[in-house]
Amino acid sequence: MKKIFSLFVICACAHVSLAQDFNKNLTEARSSYAAGNLSNSRFAMEQMLHTLDAAIGKDILKLLPTKMDALTANVKADNTTGTGTNGGLGLYVQRTYGSGAKTATVDIINNSPLITSLNALLSLPFIGRGGDGNQKVIKVQGYKAVLTKTENTDTKKLDYDLQVPLQNTLVTFKVTETQEAEVLRMANTIPLEKIAQMAQ
Amino acid sequence: MKILYVSVLFTGLCLLQHQASGQLLNKMRQKLENAAEQSVNKALGTDKNTINTSTGTSTSSGSRARNKGGAGLVTTPPDVKENLTDAESKYKAGQYAQSRSALQQAMLGVEMEIGQKILKSLPESIAGLKKNAEADQVTSTGWGWVGLTIQRQYTDGNEKELTTTIANNAVLLSAVNLYLTNGGYSQTTGGKQDWKQTKVKGNKAVIEYDESTGYKLTVPLGQSSMLVYEGVNFKNEAELMAAANAVDIAGIKKMLGEK
Repeated sequence: MKKIFSLFVICACAHVSLAQDFNKNLTEARSSYAAGNLSNSRFAMEQMLHTLDAAIGKDILKLLPTKMDALTANVKADNTTGTGTNGGLGLYVQRTYGSGAKTATVDIINNSPLITSLNALLSLPFIGRGGDGNQKVIKVQGYKAVLTKTENTDTKKLDYDLQVPLQNTLVTFKVTETQEAEVLRMANTIPLEKIAQMAQ
Repeated sequence: MKILYVSVLFTGLCLLQHQASGQLLNKMRQKLENAAEQSVNKALGTDKNTINTSTGTSTSSGSRARNKGGAGLVTTPPDVKENLTDAESKYKAGQYAQSRSALQQAMLGVEMEIGQKILKSLPESIAGLKKNAEADQVTSTGWGWVGLTIQRQYTDGNEKELTTTIANNAVLLSAVNLYLTNGGYSQTTGGKQDWKQTKVKGNKAVIEYDESTGYKLTVPLGQSSMLVYEGVNFKNEAELMAAANAVDIAGIKKMLGEK
């Protein structure tokens, strides 16, 4: 009970801190713009974007399942970063599952430079089907996705990598030591539509 | 004998009728073929008659009309204040994605204003070349400075041309900085110097020459921006350097918030 209470307090404090940052930068953006200092205004807006990305990331983490099959989420290792727009990247969210040899990882990246090449891959189906049979185009919750299989050279077990481009957001789901059916079953527990709405 | 005469006459009549009906059939077939050919031509827009009659009206049946004029679009950069208010209200309502979208529009608006301000600061003419106002360009992707490009072209209306581009591109900038920080790089190719370090108004820069494209002078501006001059048909390096000095680099840096 104490733990839940302290977690709630930490979350509330974080939210208040984010809101303070947002408001402070909003005031700065407005006053700089009014004074004709456009580059300062622009910089303050970039900071606001950073705050927003962090808030969106936190909301997305709430949507992700806390368990995938037998794998429990490592909530303490949750990672969400709002980079503003520097370098073209915006939002970054990561959650990992499991602690042994078998793990799963969900990565959500906004404005990823990979999206263009992935979309090209999905729109040209003959490219999407790798000649070696390790890559194929599939559908997950109605979204086209690229599934890639790799064999671990040491253990000879299979790792899977599922990439789902959602407009300007890329969801990557990786599972080690698994089978295709299991990856797809787990992937179906990720609320892709809601993530797309929040991250775009 | 009579019977023979009658039968010959009958056979002759039959042959005549057959020939007549054959001619009639041929005529009908010809007419049908012509009609079919015309309708196909009409559908493809290759009918000689239609083309001849439609010359000057530019609309032939089956083909799309061509636009001949219009006022175009009204230049409307995003309203910064309005979008900031929108971003604030959406943030308070917990609608972060919508708030983000409004904020990006506000940023785009500011970037377009910065771009226009920089264009205004550039001289009307450089090295005897007049600005080509039609070619002025401010583009931004709204993804931070990454996509902001401001371009102005100067020309003598003939073969000589100077293009100044102020761009924000961290990747390109790091490549230029690599040149500048590694003075030990070989600066000659086959005994001929194609590029070298130089200075423009106290700013380190790289100048390049290519037979087909002419001179290119790149000046990094602060942490993430750069100014690129491209001179076509300039007499020599000194002429391009003189042209480069006509631009207020310190002013541009200030407007971009670069140090």
